[in-house]
Formats: sequence, structure tokens, C-alpha cells
Amino acid sequence: MLTKTFKRGIHPLHGMHEGKGPTRDLETREYVSDTVVISMAMNIGAPAKPCVKKGDHVDVGQVIGEAQGFMSVPVHASVSGEVVTVDQIPSLGAGNVQAVTIKNDFADSWVELHPLGSVEQVDPKAVIPAIQAAGITGMGGASFPTHVKLTFKQGATCDTIVVNGAECETHLTADYRLMLEHSTRIVDGLRAVMRALDVKTGIIGIEDNKPEAIEAMRKAAQGRDGVSVQPLKTKYPQGGEKQLIEAITGRQVPSGGLPIDAHVVVLNVGTCAAIADAVIDGKPLINRICTVTGCVRKPSNLLLRIGTITEDIIGECDGYSETPGKVVFGGMMTGICIPNDQMPIMKSTNGIVVLNEKQARSKDESPCIHCGRCVAACPIGLNPYQIKVAADKSDFAAAQKLHVMDCILCGSCAYECPSRRWLTPSFKYCKDHITAEAKAKAAAAAAKGGANK
Amino acid sequence: MSLRISTAPHMHNPLTTQRLMQYVFIALLPTAAWGVYAFGFSALLVLCVSMASAVCAEFLWQKIAKQPVRVGDFSALVTGLILGLNLPATAPWWMVIIGAFFAVIIVKQLFGGLGDNFLNPALAARAVLLASWPVHMTASACVNPTFFQAGVDAVSTATPLGAPANYTLMQLFLGQAPGAIGEVSKAAILIGLLFLLVTKVISWRIPVLMTASVFCCTMLIGGATPEAALAAVLSGGVLFGAVFMATDYVTSPITPWGQVIYAIGIGLIITLIRQFGSYPEGVTYGILLMNIATPLIDRIPRKIYGVKKEAKKA
Repeated sequence: MLTKTFKRGIHPLHGMHEGKGPTRDLETREYVSDTVVISMAMNIGAPAKPCVKKGDHVDVGQVIGEAQGFMSVPVHASVSGEVVTVDQIPSLGAGNVQAVTIKNDFADSWVELHPLGSVEQVDPKAVIPAIQAAGITGMGGASFPTHVKLTFKQGATCDTIVVNGAECETHLTADYRLMLEHSTRIVDGLRAVMRALDVKTGIIGIEDNKPEAIEAMRKAAQGRDGVSVQPLKTKYPQGGEKQLIEAITGRQVPSGGLPIDAHVVVLNVGTCAAIADAVIDGKPLINRICTVTGCVRKPSNLLLRIGTITEDIIGECDGYSETPGKVVFGGMMTGICIPNDQMPIMKSTNGIVVLNEKQARSKDESPCIHCGRCVAACPIGLNPYQIKVAADKSDFAAAQKLHVMDCILCGSCAYECPSRRWLTPSFKYCKDHITAEAKAKAAAAAAKGGANK
Repeated sequence: MSLRISTAPHMHNPLTTQRLMQYVFIALLPTAAWGVYAFGFSALLVLCVSMASAVCAEFLWQKIAKQPVRVGDFSALVTGLILGLNLPATAPWWMVIIGAFFAVIIVKQLFGGLGDNFLNPALAARAVLLASWPVHMTASACVNPTFFQAGVDAVSTATPLGAPANYTLMQLFLGQAPGAIGEVSKAAILIGLLFLLVTKVISWRIPVLMTASVFCCTMLIGGATPEAALAAVLSGGVLFGAVFMATDYVTSPITPWGQVIYAIGIGLIITLIRQFGSYPEGVTYGILLMNIATPLIDRIPRKIYGVKKEAKKA
């Protein structure tokens, strides 16, 4: 099998099936809980605004949060039943977000749906609005509103849609199961986007540790013009947008730019399947596949309604097998820790990994010995140890000169560091600080400009 | 229920600094064992005094400076062992102790401790000892007579560099020639190299390119035959330096291309010193000089994803 890849990178849990062993062969099963808590802030950009109140009856697929502008998507009820509260819950970032709690009546009554018809007949102009209306955001973890990604700035051109089936994160098998069980849906979603953007080439990239998925997707792509499958080397972060583009097209996204600057759009396999649901069936995004693994008694791939509470999900997996130390939404390399198991899953939650006390314990930094493992790992080609020196001094200007803004926060350097230095957390701190500073500067300039007028 | 929170990544490669140092220590053992076998009990004494003094020096310094004591990371032990292996078996005990204290306190701790020294501690100490007590450092060899060829005047010359023609290549390779404790047996050094490569502690670049550089430079600059060039590689501390000292993480460049420049540079300097200098041996100064150049070499920009050359100038 001819595989492609990017430069450098790492092999976490190599020889241990990247931690995917316990769940990769488990068929997805649906689990529906009796209460869901649906956050209004599940996308990058403006959160949705709740449009239901306590006591309202809602059907599955009914809009319960309205999109606030272009950089926002609506939120839909994932179960039918009664709205119990419209309240604040802690967000995964800082502060609180609004959320709607619905008590499930298990009637599963849907709102009226408006399908656009088959991929061959759909009006290309109707696809992108349908994607926004269905509340679709990037399902690989970044939660970027998909319709925004598909709406190009003036003069930008796209010649290739890359579908991300790499699933390079450890432990996760949600995308793998989706590719096995819903291969046609993924190809349909891709074709809908190709039709909407008038793009002739669609390439599905899959790591070669998933030969069955490569096989299944090849079968689904057969006879579909322009759609092909590209096997990729199993290496982290193969599924990183920039690395995927480099591997598949040989192009690089310019520093500070977006994939469209390399004439490429990258969509996750889950996003493609959701697009197919939205276009062909008119169904909004109300559920997703999520891998639950680590210290749980019964590791599983579950089809979950958006807003299902972690505690219920762990219960469905027969509970914790050890005292949990950390619960991570996502994989071990880039996942986000949740503060408690009352957190509901989001549109982007592709996995829940439970770590025991020992795995969760943080390690103390010891001095950098210049071993060069971070340099050998960095898929971007940065010198992480030098940036860390600048970051430790809060010298943001120096960090910026060393291209910290090109860091993709993949965690490869921190994974490899024998001195356990907090490289990636420092870089995130730098990036957040520099972004906030630039924003404040722009705001100040705008205010000054306004005053002068 | 309370859960821990941290930023990603949530797992690490199990390899730690301590483990790396242990690997280096293990890789040095065949060389040390050969040295003790060849030079007898006095070699063992030198190695033990050197290791004990280095660890003591590190411990005392960290106590006095009220720093966290990191003796457990094995780095001082490795420094002590490398220094010992760099000394002749006849080295007096007080000189060994001075060397170890100089290496750990002056070269390493005064510049900020592990990771911040710009010279290889063991090598810098060796250079100081060489300058201070040249007689003790070069008048070597209480040679185990069963080991070294009869008729070789082992006492008069510390390394075969003075008279390389006296030894066959095989004798040089197996370590049947006088020299510092650790540098004599190239076979034992290569076992150590193999171990370091298999455990991925070091890459092949520095050891291979440095020896290749010595070989080529000896032919090009010295006009030597290939056989004489090979003898130059197998003589003195070239191989020991290439495997265990030039590869020191802290004082060698971090980028692959930087390592190439560094390794070739060391080979060139060694050859220049051997050909034109007054010292017969140039490994110590070759490595130390390139140690000094390392921070500069590390500043050579790398190719960064998505960053164009024009953008760099701006």
C-alpha cells in the first residue's frame, strides 16, 4: 500500500494499537439518556441564544438556540420532551455558558424535516445554507462552523476537498467505526460539498493502521467521480489539518493562513456524514459517535445524543473500573479535561478517556538537557526548547519571533520531552496572550479611529 | 467528585532524563570493564574516586546553594565516570578529585547546573588537568604485561599517537595499546555505541560523521594513506570522544544539520591540531571548541512549515 505522510511527528503508544485496541472492533450501539443538557456554545464564534423556556415541549430536531450572526450555528433539541431549565453551566474554557436541559419523554417525535433530495439533484446553492441550518460544526474537535469554512473570501479558489479519516489521536475509534458502518454517508456528504463548491477532486485520507476502513471507504467511493481514498502512514499528528494537506497534496498552508490559501478545504469524516444527513434527509446534527475508553468497565463506541451527561455515559459503560483521576474529552494528545462528570458531551466530543489517579498525576519539570527530541518531533519544524525559554520569561515578542504562532499545539514535543517540560501548555499560554493582545490593540485602534471622526 | 485538570497532552513517552543517563552509564560499562582489565586495580580506583567525587560535589553544591538535590538523575555519576575514563590509570587520587570537583562545580553548576553548561564538564576538567599536571596526565601506563605486546615502550608515550607505526590496526582496535583508561579499546566503545543507537539515546550523526571527518581530513590535509588515516581514527581518544563526549546533549547542537556541521568541525580541528599543533592529541580541544560554537550553530534557522524565505527577511 503506497502511503503518504508529513515530516517528523511521533508514534505514541506504538505497538499498542495507539490505545485503540479495546474499542476498535466494537460495533457502535445507541444510548439515549433520560435527561440531556445542551450547551449553547458548541462552536467557535458567537454562542446561540436560547429560544425556548422552562415548561416548553420540544420535538427532536427543533431549534432551541438561534444562531447569532454568520459566525454561529443554531442548536437543536436532541430528544423530545419537556424543557426543565434554561440555565448556566460551566464551560470547558473559562466562565459559564447557557444550556437547555430537556427531560426525555422517549417518544422520539421529530419536527417536520425538509430534505433537499439526493446528492445528484440537490441545488448547489442550497447546500451551504442547509449546513448552517443543521447546526454543523467541525466534528473532529475544533468546532469551527462548517458553513463558514465553505464560504470563501473574495478571490479564493478551492480545487480539492480533503476528508480527514486519519484519526491519529490515541484511544479514539469513533471515526473508524463511522467509516466502517456509514461509509456511503461520508462519501455522500463529501459529494454534496464538491457539488456546492464545484470542486472536482475529493480525497479521503486514512492512516494505514485502519486497513478495513480504507477498504470500506474505497468500496463506497467506487464509481463516484473524483472521489478517492489515500492511505496515510500511521503517525501523530497525521490528522492535523496542515499535516494532512502536506501529506495528501504536497502543498503547505502559508504561515498565518487557512487551508483555503493552499486551495484546499479539510472536513472530518463525521462532519461529512452530518452534511449528508442535513442535505439528503434534512436532519439537523443531534447525535454523534463517541468512543468511551480508559478506566471504564466496558469500553464502547456509543451513538450519543448531543447533551448526554458524562456520568450517564460512564454508567452505560458499567461505571469506572478504577477511581478516576482525569476525564478527558477527546484523545490523550489534545483532549480537554472536564472538571466533573456532570459535563454534557458536545458536537465535537469524539471520545471520553478516563485516566486513573496514577496516570492523572502531573509530573514536575526538570531542567532541559537539550536532547533535541522536541525538535525531532515538531511537525512544523519549530525549536520548542527555545520557545519555552522565551515563554518562561513571558517574553512574548521573542516567542513570536521564534514562530510560536505557527505552533499547532499538537503536543508532540511535550510527549517526547524526557524532562517532562510543559512545552505545549506554555505555547498555548503564549498564543492566547499574543492573540488577546492583538485583539485589544485592534479594538483600541478602532476606538481611537472612531473618536477622531 | 473532583477530577484533575490540565492542559494536553495527557501522556508522555516513558523515557525520562534519569533513564537516559542510566543508558549512557550502561553504555560506558564495557569500556570501563576493559580499562580495568587492561590496567588493573589502579584503573578501578581512578574510576571509583572520580565517580564518588563528582556525585559528592554535586550533592554538596546543591545543598549549599539550597537547590533541589538532583543527584538521583545520574548526570553527575556519568560525568564522573567519563572523566575517570579520560584519565590515565596512574593518575594520583588528589588530581582525580580536583578534576571531578572542577567538572561539576566550576564547569557545570556555576553556569546554572544541568542543561546550562556550555562546555562538556568532563572534557573541560581534563583540559585543565592536562594544562596543570601534564606529566601526570601523559606519563601513563602501568600496562598489564600479558596484554600489551612485549617490546613496546609503553612508559614513554601515553598514546600511540607518538609512534603509531608501533601498533597494528588490530592492536589499536582491540585496545592492546596504552592510553587513557577508557579510550584504549575501540571494540568496547563500539559496543557502547551500538547500545546507545539501539536505545535511541543518540543518533548516528555525530559519532559517524566525526570519525568520518577525522578520516577524510587526515587523508586530505595530512596526505595520509587510507590505512594511516584509519590508524589515526583508531588512535587516541577519537572514538571515545565521538561516541561519549561529542554526543553530550547539553553541549552539542540540537538540530540535525547543526549536528552535521558540529561533527565535521570537530574532525577538522582534531586533524589540524594533530598535524600542525604541538600536542600529539587534539580530541579534547576539538570537542571543546565546537562546544563553544554550539549556541551559534543552534541559531541557524530551520525550515518552518508554511514560512517562506522572503518572509524571514522581513
